[in-house]
Amino acid sequence: MSMTVLTVDDSRTMREMLRLALADAGFKVLQAEDGVHGLEVLTQGDRPDVIVTDINMPRMDGFGFIEEVRSDPHYRGVPILVLTTESDAEKKNRARMAGATGWIVKPFNPVKLVDAIRRVAA
Amino acid sequence: MTQINPNNAAGALRELISFRIGAQEFCVDIMAVREIRGWTAATALPQSPSFVRGVINLRGAVLPIVDLAARLGFEGSETTERSVIIVAQIGEQVVGLLVDAVSDILTVTDDVIQPTPDVASDTAKTFVRGLLAIDGRMISLIGLERVLPDLDLEAA
Amino acid sequence: MDPLAAIRDTFFQECEEQLAELESGLLAMEAGDTDSETINAVFRAVHSIKGGAGAFSLDALVRFAHVFETALDEMRSGRLAPSQDALKVMLRASDVLADHVRAARDDGAVDEAHTAALAEELKALGPDGGADADEGSEDDWGDFEFKPMSVDAPDEPAPMVGGGWRVAFKPRADLYAKANETALLLRELGRLGAIEVECDASALPSLADIDPEAAYLAWTVTLTSDADETSVREVFEFVDGDCELEITGLQTDVGGGAGPDAGDAPEQVPGGDLDISALLARAQAAADSRPSSPAEAIPEPVPAEPVAAAPAIASAPVATATAAEPASPDGQGQPRKSEAGATIRVDLERVDRLIDLVGELVINQAMLSQRVMEAGFARASGVAMGLDELEQLTREIQDSVMAIRAQPVKSVFQRMPRLVREVGAMTGKPVRLVTEGEGTEVDKTVIERLADPLTHMIRNAIDHGLESPEKRAAAGKAAEGVVRLSAAHRSGRIVIEVADDGGGINRERVKSIAVERGLIAADAPLSDEEIDNLIFMPGFSTASEVSDISGRGVGMDVVKRSIQALGGRIAISSRPGKGSTFTMSLPLTLAVLDGMVVSVAGQTLVAPITAIVESLQPKASDVHSLGGHSRVIMIRDTYIPLIDVGMALNYRATPMDATQGVALLIEGEGGARAALLVDAIQGQRQVVIKSLEANYRQVPGVAAATILGDGRVALILDIDTIVAVSRGADSVRAEKRLAAAG
Repeated sequence: MSMTVLTVDDSRTMREMLRLALADAGFKVLQAEDGVHGLEVLTQGDRPDVIVTDINMPRMDGFGFIEEVRSDPHYRGVPILVLTTESDAEKKNRARMAGATGWIVKPFNPVKLVDAIRRVAA
Repeated sequence: MTQINPNNAAGALRELISFRIGAQEFCVDIMAVREIRGWTAATALPQSPSFVRGVINLRGAVLPIVDLAARLGFEGSETTERSVIIVAQIGEQVVGLLVDAVSDILTVTDDVIQPTPDVASDTAKTFVRGLLAIDGRMISLIGLERVLPDLDLEAA
Repeated sequence: MDPLAAIRDTFFQECEEQLAELESGLLAMEAGDTDSETINAVFRAVHSIKGGAGAFSLDALVRFAHVFETALDEMRSGRLAPSQDALKVMLRASDVLADHVRAARDDGAVDEAHTAALAEELKALGPDGGADADEGSEDDWGDFEFKPMSVDAPDEPAPMVGGGWRVAFKPRADLYAKANETALLLRELGRLGAIEVECDASALPSLADIDPEAAYLAWTVTLTSDADETSVREVFEFVDGDCELEITGLQTDVGGGAGPDAGDAPEQVPGGDLDISALLARAQAAADSRPSSPAEAIPEPVPAEPVAAAPAIASAPVATATAAEPASPDGQGQPRKSEAGATIRVDLERVDRLIDLVGELVINQAMLSQRVMEAGFARASGVAMGLDELEQLTREIQDSVMAIRAQPVKSVFQRMPRLVREVGAMTGKPVRLVTEGEGTEVDKTVIERLADPLTHMIRNAIDHGLESPEKRAAAGKAAEGVVRLSAAHRSGRIVIEVADDGGGINRERVKSIAVERGLIAADAPLSDEEIDNLIFMPGFSTASEVSDISGRGVGMDVVKRSIQALGGRIAISSRPGKGSTFTMSLPLTLAVLDGMVVSVAGQTLVAPITAIVESLQPKASDVHSLGGHSRVIMIRDTYIPLIDVGMALNYRATPMDATQGVALLIEGEGGARAALLVDAIQGQRQVVIKSLEANYRQVPGVAAATILGDGRVALILDIDTIVAVSRGADSVRAEKRLAAAG
């Protein structure tokens, strides 16, 4: 059974890239445009096995989104990988404080992306 | 419609639609033909060559009508109730060809089509791609690329 | 299309949106809106461009975006004040960023010196006042290339460094709170080589004392592998800080590597087939059998503690962690996306196809109505009334469909601030652009074709309209000139105004130029309005006025023509010392046209109503022959050329009797007036515009075609061409003669 991955990113380009890389790897891909939309997709769609989220987004950023997911008993066990544009230690730490499982540095290498997802997904 | 076998180039089957203008018979490749419909009066176009009868409405599209007889250098057709418009695709454009009547659908192999003899007139050289002899009748195969007026030549 | 090429297209489209967002955000900040959401949006725009550019290895773009982003980050974090000066630099940086995006898209070049200069200015805004941006983050952009490839590529083991590693690992509760899993970490280690796992459950308290959120187990893993320490540490990359981790090298006695603490001989687990469940079950058993445990041991899974969840891990990995708590599928308390802003993106071709179909529907409906009337149904009959309703519905559908193509003029308005900055800088005139009604919607095609005329008019307004700062000061005006660009809907059309607060039109000068260029007679009695309108005449602006700013020989006549080509009109009003206002009125769509249906020599033709000033029945006494077939008609004491449309289109060979027809007074190109003689007016109606070029070619004198209620094609007149052709090339002189004669 293929894994379902939810990606949350406000950039259409990034979303298309993520979809391409993840669909190529055989994942089922759900997509959301920002944190608020991400929470909506979570409650409406299939439960994802892994979430990949951007940090800088309108309406609700990645930190807020992770906190919301972690505070929901139904979803708090879902591994969350953050996409960070730079290997900025501060951002990484904030994401981890919020409850991120791991991170991927953008621009991502699709192999590494899929690898990271496999690492955190059972 | 007969499937054309691309592996059989020399003897490839072609389907042609033959039609009559006056006493002569012509044909065009069926692949170029979209539909055949009866004659309806066309709206005349100013500043156009005499063989362009005007434009008609074909389900919302504006279609020029070429009087094929006039185009081929005969007397222009007298349109009758039996006149027919062959709607043909020429490149990106769709054009109506006014002919007297459609006679037949022919299925032939390429080798049946004979080259146009050298004696032919300029008009023939422009439009006739080859000749067929079917049941003792001579049918000219028409190429449609030059049917519409050439913008550069006619503009002057 | 290659999926990457498609994403590249998306990227550049998105860049344009981000650039627009960036500019409007910066302008809002300049106007005093320093709301954090505005700053964030501005930051995000640059950030997104950089992110996408990185994925496509657009290095120059990434480098500049990075410098820009760094400066914006300073502003976002409050370390850099959003001063007017700083924002000016950022606005210029946004222009450079736009250049970079377009250069990347079109494989073009950018002005590198300019880029470097602005990069320096941006850096100078930073706290270190120009110290180089951190090089470290630049390294992140080294070798990224987006190449979809097989994900099954096995990890190449690093060269042999030793026999293996002993990994002592004690998770903290945080590790689980972040949805990391011991089992998965062990599995990852298993990928590096053979592992032996021991679980130390000695810290596990009695059941009553177990904190479901805490972590009690510690693990020692013996890894037999060629992997280097970095690879081993990488496994724990995500849990760094959330666990105690000790990694020590082992001797090269492959296969035997038991740690010093290993009591029992642990089972060796082949890396490929690591059975985590079994492992964890064993750990569980070890915990159960501990002497200090209560007799009943741990009977039920402990929530949130992975050991307890172990048996289920392989099948339902995450759910079990929360199994003890009720699920909340209703997602209570979560913010909802507002419905208001929901949009979808649709391929333009699909919309156009829909518009075509609705156009056909309108035609069909009209044909049906006509046939029903011909069939003799009474107006009050059920059929006729049903048809009326159908007509109403059809119109509503048509309006709704047209609305899909409508877009706010914002997309073209927002190109203007940059233009104003540039022209302001080139002319040395401080100028402020004020826009209004950006949300006013009009057909996409109209918007696209508005860009050029608007650009030209705004250049003109700054270059010719506004006075120099000195003159303004002398006139008691603020040094900064104001150009106002506004849009509004007015009676089914869109009205766009370009106004400046400059000196207004110098009528003396305009008149003398027009006389000098032979456009009017020296003694022509002209009203102020007529003088102002002279600037639209072809030949008014000449090479002597060409400047870099207002373009090469592009006069207002060209602007007027392009507005007219859109079915629009343009007018000017000017007040000396106060400024000038150009007003354009345009149709909301190019798909339909308000037409006057007329008969000419047995043909039915349509004249665009926008061009028609009035219609009248010529009296024999008003019509005069000028020799040949040329005729003029006297309308309110002015002789105006009378054009026989049937002759102009070769529908007839001899002129018709003017008194038997109707004259349409029209205003064409350059404000020139003429009267078109037709046989009769059939009525006014909205017609759907159909291209003649699609299947044929352009026909002189014909703008397009349409299909009338009887299903027949009618031609739409191209009035400007008919007028121009009828009058010949010497029309200007003819008018001069006429003016003199009058």
